[in-house]
Amino acid sequence: MQINLKDRIKYLTGDESILEKSDKIPALPMFSDIAVGFLADLSKELLSIPNIREHLDVMSYAYWIRKASIEKEKQKYNLREYRLGRGVAFHIAPSNVPVNFAVSMTSSLLAGNITVIRVSNKEFVEVSTICDAINRVLAKEEFAMMRSYICIIRYEHSDEITAFLSSICDVRIIWGGNNTIAQIRKYPIPPRAIEMCFADRHSVAIIDPEKYLEEDPSEIAKKFYTDTYYSDQNACSSPRIVIWLGENEAAKTSFWNALNEEVKSRYEIQPVQVIDKLSTFTEISMKMEGVRIREDISADNRLMVIDIPSLVLDSETIMDYKMNSGYFYQYTATCLDDILPILNKTCQTIAVLGIEKKDVVSFLMEKGVRGIDRVVDIGDTMGLEFVWDGFKMIENMSRIVYIYEK
Amino acid sequence: MIDNFYELQPYELDKDAKSKLLTKELLELTAFHKERCKNYSNYLDAVGFDPVSVRTPADIPFFPVRTFKDVDLLSIPREDVFKIMTSSGTTGQRVSKIFVDKETAMIQQKVMVKILSDYWGKKRLPILVIDSKATVKNRDSFSARGAAIIGLQVVAREMVYALNDDMTLNVDIVKDFLEKYSGQRFIIFGFTFIVWQSLFLNSNALDFSKYDLSDAFLMTGGGWKKLISESVSQDVFKQKITETFGIRHFLDHYGMVEQTGCIYAECECGHLHASIYSDVIIRDPLDFSVKKNGEKGLIQVVSVLPHSYPGHSLLTEDEGIVLGEDDCPCGRKGKYIQILGRIKSAEIRGCSDTYADKLERQN
Repeated sequence: MQINLKDRIKYLTGDESILEKSDKIPALPMFSDIAVGFLADLSKELLSIPNIREHLDVMSYAYWIRKASIEKEKQKYNLREYRLGRGVAFHIAPSNVPVNFAVSMTSSLLAGNITVIRVSNKEFVEVSTICDAINRVLAKEEFAMMRSYICIIRYEHSDEITAFLSSICDVRIIWGGNNTIAQIRKYPIPPRAIEMCFADRHSVAIIDPEKYLEEDPSEIAKKFYTDTYYSDQNACSSPRIVIWLGENEAAKTSFWNALNEEVKSRYEIQPVQVIDKLSTFTEISMKMEGVRIREDISADNRLMVIDIPSLVLDSETIMDYKMNSGYFYQYTATCLDDILPILNKTCQTIAVLGIEKKDVVSFLMEKGVRGIDRVVDIGDTMGLEFVWDGFKMIENMSRIVYIYEK
Repeated sequence: MIDNFYELQPYELDKDAKSKLLTKELLELTAFHKERCKNYSNYLDAVGFDPVSVRTPADIPFFPVRTFKDVDLLSIPREDVFKIMTSSGTTGQRVSKIFVDKETAMIQQKVMVKILSDYWGKKRLPILVIDSKATVKNRDSFSARGAAIIGLQVVAREMVYALNDDMTLNVDIVKDFLEKYSGQRFIIFGFTFIVWQSLFLNSNALDFSKYDLSDAFLMTGGGWKKLISESVSQDVFKQKITETFGIRHFLDHYGMVEQTGCIYAECECGHLHASIYSDVIIRDPLDFSVKKNGEKGLIQVVSVLPHSYPGHSLLTEDEGIVLGEDDCPCGRKGKYIQILGRIKSAEIRGCSDTYADKLERQN
């Protein structure tokens, strides 16, 4: 590596020797004992931090990687296959979801890769908490071998460093949306390397109003809050629109009023977010005739609910007008066919209530829908999973060695 | 009818009289634009506007100034557009487009003259602009700065640009101007930060002590934040300007391209005043309720000037305070305000790194 590059990289975990000898480090088998053991120990290390409850996302991550959880995941794989890491996995983590880098690292290590992660320059306490814990675990003699497999770095925007890391990788994983992907794709990866990109997506909630009315409104509101406000309604998996399968004003009113209670007690909003929401509402209402703001529900600017008469506007869909921070479109459909226009390539997660998840999947299989990678219950959109955006993460980051038997 | 306003002095009406006149005019304008601008009419429907419920100017629906970037808003046929004023603002690359016809352009100029003459008299005055001709010339970037300068042209007897295109001081031109007008009443106009950087910090380029600027007005607009970031407060600015140039009259102002003509100009007491042509309503960002005098919030501006586009009630991205109403020692009636500056951008969570995604969407 060129000397001038070295000086500009800050190592949170690992050091430059990993980058220098990366092609000499053996790949590990998928679900190697050492990687599973390391993650299990990291889980314990994180959960033993006294005030860890203050960081719910770090805590969920720690639970996700505990031994039992990973062993359970392992059972889902065909372990008679010979699978091992592809080599060097270069991850570009997003800047606004602090724990994401660790989630990406987890699949990468379980796949058996030498894992190089660029984290954002924003100093999140969650990032330093996890990196410190990783370093404490790596300091243990039993995990000495793992030290060559984890390199977590920061650097100021640099074409040379990104180009260099891209040139040595076998898998490149780009988080952070369309603009980041476009930016990083300027730098070529080796011919045999593969790339996994996590583009901008939108998600949708679908509710059967009759079934909803059988539920406890405040319980549902808490779950839906987690789906949306917890990440400023700006995660790919956060529903931006609520589709009611059938008209039922009582269900709508109850749903939003309960959410409003939850929001009032928990959510904080900046003036600029309010302006962003009002601007988006103004734009769509001017362009699309028949849009109505639900004044009764939207008096507090932390929640804005907008009834729309159509999902389509000329060549665009309503999802081209998505906003965050508590901004919801509301649409009443008679059946799933009605909402096909927004189930396009950019649609990621469908969160359902009172609707069979399998029915949604059968529908999309039958229609050959280009979007929808995931169907979950309301409340589960933020779940940490090894399948994301249509990728089986661990399998995609590994390669299979096939023995031909006559 | 705006003609009713012309018969009055710009700061003559007290609270009740102004509210009554303004409410009536704004209601008429709302109906006027509803009829002529389909986008605006859709918007009024979307917020469930009912004119019968309007009691004060605060009851007129408002939308964010940013909307002029998202939608082309016209209440006139396109062929009647006389000029398009643009401003880039802070969010994204797209520009606001304000469509002005001859009538609205005339109203803007007329009101601007009326407001300013309340401060420095009815006579047209020579103006030394602390900016370059390029700022006005470049039609592609006809900025708020350019718009403000153009707006002043109508009140100017003569307009001289003090800066070269590269924003350096044109010493000869400034010298000529001061030789000609020393001791008389004239205007120096510029954006605060540019006045500081290009004029004050270069003040030793010529001997200002030779000239008498005691009757001159320094008219500035915006840019305080940038000065404050260089540790120059408004008080320090004024003090230094007085020490260096002998200028005693200051006239800061607040205004925006979306409501050109209706400026909020600074009186001798340092207060920015709303004239009868416009008003300021401070809103709570949490629920848009109207804040009391003395309380901070988002600034909504209403103006009776926009006829060619529905810009008579807008929510700005600035925060401010109404300091008082009808009781400024300067004698001007109406609200006087303080501008606290642009709202902060937020760091929100989410997978996508580009917060301004929506703003960059292709139109």
